[in-house]
Amino acid sequence: MSWAQAILLARGLSRGWGGICSTALTGAPFSQVPPQAPRGLRCSAAAHNPDSSLVPRPPEPPRQPVKALAVHEELFRPALDGTRDKANFVRAVQNFAQYNVHKRGHVDFIYLALRKMREYGVERDLSVYNLLLDVFPKEVFRPRNIFHSIFLHYPRQQECGIAVLEQMENHGVMPNNETEFLLMQIFGRKSYPMLKLVRMKLWFTRFKNINPFPVPRDLPQDPVDLASLALRHMEPDLSARVTTYQMPLPKDSPDTMDPTETHIVGIQSPEQQSALARHDPARPIFVEGPFSLWLRDKCVYYHILRADLLPPEEREVEEIPEEWNLYYPMQLDLAYGRSGWDDYEFDIDEVEEGPVFAICVAGAHDQATLAKWIQGLQETNPALARIPVVFRLSGSSGELLASSSELEEPPPPPPEGQEEEEDSQQRQQQGQS
Amino acid sequence: MSGCGLFLCSVAARFCRAPAAFTVSRRPLLTSPPSRAFAKDLFLGKIQKKEVFPFPEVSQDELKEINQFVGPVEKFFTEEVDSRKIDQEGKIPDETLEKLKSLGLFGMQVPEEYGGLGLSNTMYARLGEVIGLDASIAVTLAAHQAIGLKGIILAGSKEQKARYLPRLASGEHVAAFCLTEPASGSDAASIRTRATLSADKRHYILNGAKVWITNGGLANVFTVFAKTEVVDSDGSVKDKMTAFIVERDFGGVTNGKPEDKMGIRGSNTCEVHFENTRVPVENVLGEVGGGFKVAMNILNSGRFSMGSVVAGMLKKLIEMTAEYACTRKQFNRNLSEFGLIQEKFALMAQKAYVMESMAYLTAAMLDAPGFPDCSIEAAMVKVFSSEGAWTCVSEALQILGGSGYIRDYPYERLLRDSRILLIFEGTNEILRMYIALTGLQHAGRILTARVNELKRGNVTTIMETVGQRLRDSLGRTVDLGLTGKLGVVHPSLADGAHKLEENVYYFGRSVETLLLRFGKAIVEEQLVLKRVANVLVNLYGMTAVLSRASRSIRLGLRDHDHEVLLANIFCSEAYHQNLFTLSQLDKRLFWAPDL
Repeated sequence: MSWAQAILLARGLSRGWGGICSTALTGAPFSQVPPQAPRGLRCSAAAHNPDSSLVPRPPEPPRQPVKALAVHEELFRPALDGTRDKANFVRAVQNFAQYNVHKRGHVDFIYLALRKMREYGVERDLSVYNLLLDVFPKEVFRPRNIFHSIFLHYPRQQECGIAVLEQMENHGVMPNNETEFLLMQIFGRKSYPMLKLVRMKLWFTRFKNINPFPVPRDLPQDPVDLASLALRHMEPDLSARVTTYQMPLPKDSPDTMDPTETHIVGIQSPEQQSALARHDPARPIFVEGPFSLWLRDKCVYYHILRADLLPPEEREVEEIPEEWNLYYPMQLDLAYGRSGWDDYEFDIDEVEEGPVFAICVAGAHDQATLAKWIQGLQETNPALARIPVVFRLSGSSGELLASSSELEEPPPPPPEGQEEEEDSQQRQQQGQS
Repeated sequence: MSGCGLFLCSVAARFCRAPAAFTVSRRPLLTSPPSRAFAKDLFLGKIQKKEVFPFPEVSQDELKEINQFVGPVEKFFTEEVDSRKIDQEGKIPDETLEKLKSLGLFGMQVPEEYGGLGLSNTMYARLGEVIGLDASIAVTLAAHQAIGLKGIILAGSKEQKARYLPRLASGEHVAAFCLTEPASGSDAASIRTRATLSADKRHYILNGAKVWITNGGLANVFTVFAKTEVVDSDGSVKDKMTAFIVERDFGGVTNGKPEDKMGIRGSNTCEVHFENTRVPVENVLGEVGGGFKVAMNILNSGRFSMGSVVAGMLKKLIEMTAEYACTRKQFNRNLSEFGLIQEKFALMAQKAYVMESMAYLTAAMLDAPGFPDCSIEAAMVKVFSSEGAWTCVSEALQILGGSGYIRDYPYERLLRDSRILLIFEGTNEILRMYIALTGLQHAGRILTARVNELKRGNVTTIMETVGQRLRDSLGRTVDLGLTGKLGVVHPSLADGAHKLEENVYYFGRSVETLLLRFGKAIVEEQLVLKRVANVLVNLYGMTAVLSRASRSIRLGLRDHDHEVLLANIFCSEAYHQNLFTLSQLDKRLFWAPDL
């Protein structure tokens, strides 16, 4: 009996939705629903196609049932003291379940809750996702026979379930057994959310540690700290030293708008220092940039100090001195080398590049700021005073330069959706690198 | 001794016969003068029997002399030296040092004309067995005479010898060897200590710091290596290493506080600083700019004694452990009745026997007239004995159970002491490179000549090569003439001898293949080189035990049946290790991911 009731109930729910939707006002006020920017998927093709994303777009947005949303929106009203934390979020979800015995409008509530998660700072909390999934009525959407499972059974609900999992995926939250159990109760084994879950369980474990250069989950807020993190991330030499050539002025000082007073942080290894000391002063060296580096959802722009590759005839051939090793000969006087059959190297065409002498991250990308960096470098590299330095600040990457002029002052924190877009871009970059 | 002569005759006869069995080693291309290097010829797949068979003996006079000498030293070490106290206090007591000096142990290898004992290498090795009873004393003595004053003996002028050796031999002065620097271990190019000629050209001004100098705090005479400016033949000025004899009284010599070490705590190890030390020009050791060779010779000559020192220590350890195993009862049985314990004793006895044989064989080679270059052999003795010491002490601790771990007993000290053996006097890794590369250099020269002959189209060479390949592919049995009617190895060891022959032959073939495969790039193939060195160490060990056990049987020494057992066990184990290693080196048989 309860099965039948549940089915009827659910049917009724969806039918009711249809009715509401059809009667909904067109051009309803959207103030309470922030416009959603496209949310990135894992694959790059989908990232540019907003239609294929699931979460941020509530189903058929123009005909959003205003009344129902307003009801749910109420649940997420800020608490008296204005705090938004996990407890408040959980209370909102529980309130929905309490006051809405029939779970009317639960799909829309879940979509809304998903969008609100970031505001409440719970987007990485597995228990909250499980709580959200728990909002779904159990056993109702399970396919009862083979035809149910062949055709998409309760498509809106399944899509909503997938959307929850999708958001978990985007924030790198690994589903646990409880998630699986809930999905099994709600949608059954043979359903699309379950398929998604199985795939997540398969790939998450593989992708979790795939990046050999892991970035900390919580990035530092201070631009100087962020810059040194980025520099450490790029520099392979562990003995390299990070130097802060200029600290940014405090926020409240009147000169904040002066772009030359931003932070300048550089890194240089002892090997780079000695290479720079050995550099022929007749050859110029170049300051190039800005190039971008993504650290999770943050982008920093860096500049490099480099020289052109020496022409082959001027390169010094490294020779083994005669009396070098006290214990064993460093070379054998044989007339022949390794035979072709024992060359296990792959045939790789390598493009040789000139040496890089230092890297810096600065708040501004104009010549005046970078000249300060070069000045700072001169203190530890006296040879730099004799070498002409050429600033090549354009042309290296046109796309970035367009934005670099805007970035002379620290960009305002991007709106929610945009951040997520950056997030997805970063994922793509990680995937490509 | 008459037996010895007989063997020589038999060897000679064997050579004269030159039957078919000898075709392997009969390479007419070998135009280089016959070298006295046994190990180098192993790289060509040949055994220079004259070098190693029969096992060397000392004359009766020498034996008497050494026994007279060893007696009091042994008595002193067992009765008066308190190793535990030395270890705890981190210092050898002055009276102990005085007694060592009065026994003449500070000048064992200094020629008699300079007041030393003038011991031969063999006798020095025998004394080493006794001295090995206390590691701190052994290291102090070794740093004094195996490397500290060795430079003066090897490269010093008459005046230098007359000036320094007598006082060093009597122990009035202690010597130290100053090579290692904070930035320079085996890399001679990065030595920072510098000696500049003073304006009047009569002094060198020495500046720099040396670290981990054994005896650094005790020594009055230092062999110091420093960079000097040398004008080359083409007129260019170059930095080259020069060796100096530096007295503490020259001024500006200071040393840091003794390092707190894990083992050999009684020996004095510290930093030594030279600040504007004025060294007279006469105190240059060897030539100006020739310090590299001096350093190399000193290092190469100082190693062989470790074999007998370790063997002495191990024999003592076996004695102590056996006493424990024969008295402790579990389940109404002595520990010594359990198979797993017996196995450990067998291992210890075998290692001690092999390293002793290797050490004395090498000592005798060094004692041979002329100036034989036995540096590979010495390095092999060092590698084998240091690793054997570590394994054996560890096994002994296993037998001793809990008491091996308690500081009240001497065992844990032996473990700590023996760890340094793998590290100093050239780490075993570096020595393996040395062993492999020096031998490959030798083999490479001969092989290059052979390849050139082939290219020139020498018919005999081509026929030889083709014939050899054909015979190899038909699965021939290897016979290098160790056994048989006129063989040098006793028939009861024939099994081991055959294994040795087979290993040697295929090792030669492997070396040839490796050289053709890698050419001079083999220098970078350290993992290949390590395996080559491992095989060679085993081969040398097998040769040494076969030779020694054969002699024991023929002389009818007491317990020679045990020696035969030990020799056969070792040969069989080493044979299988070698086969495995050689198969790793063969890319058709075994694909090791690191090769």
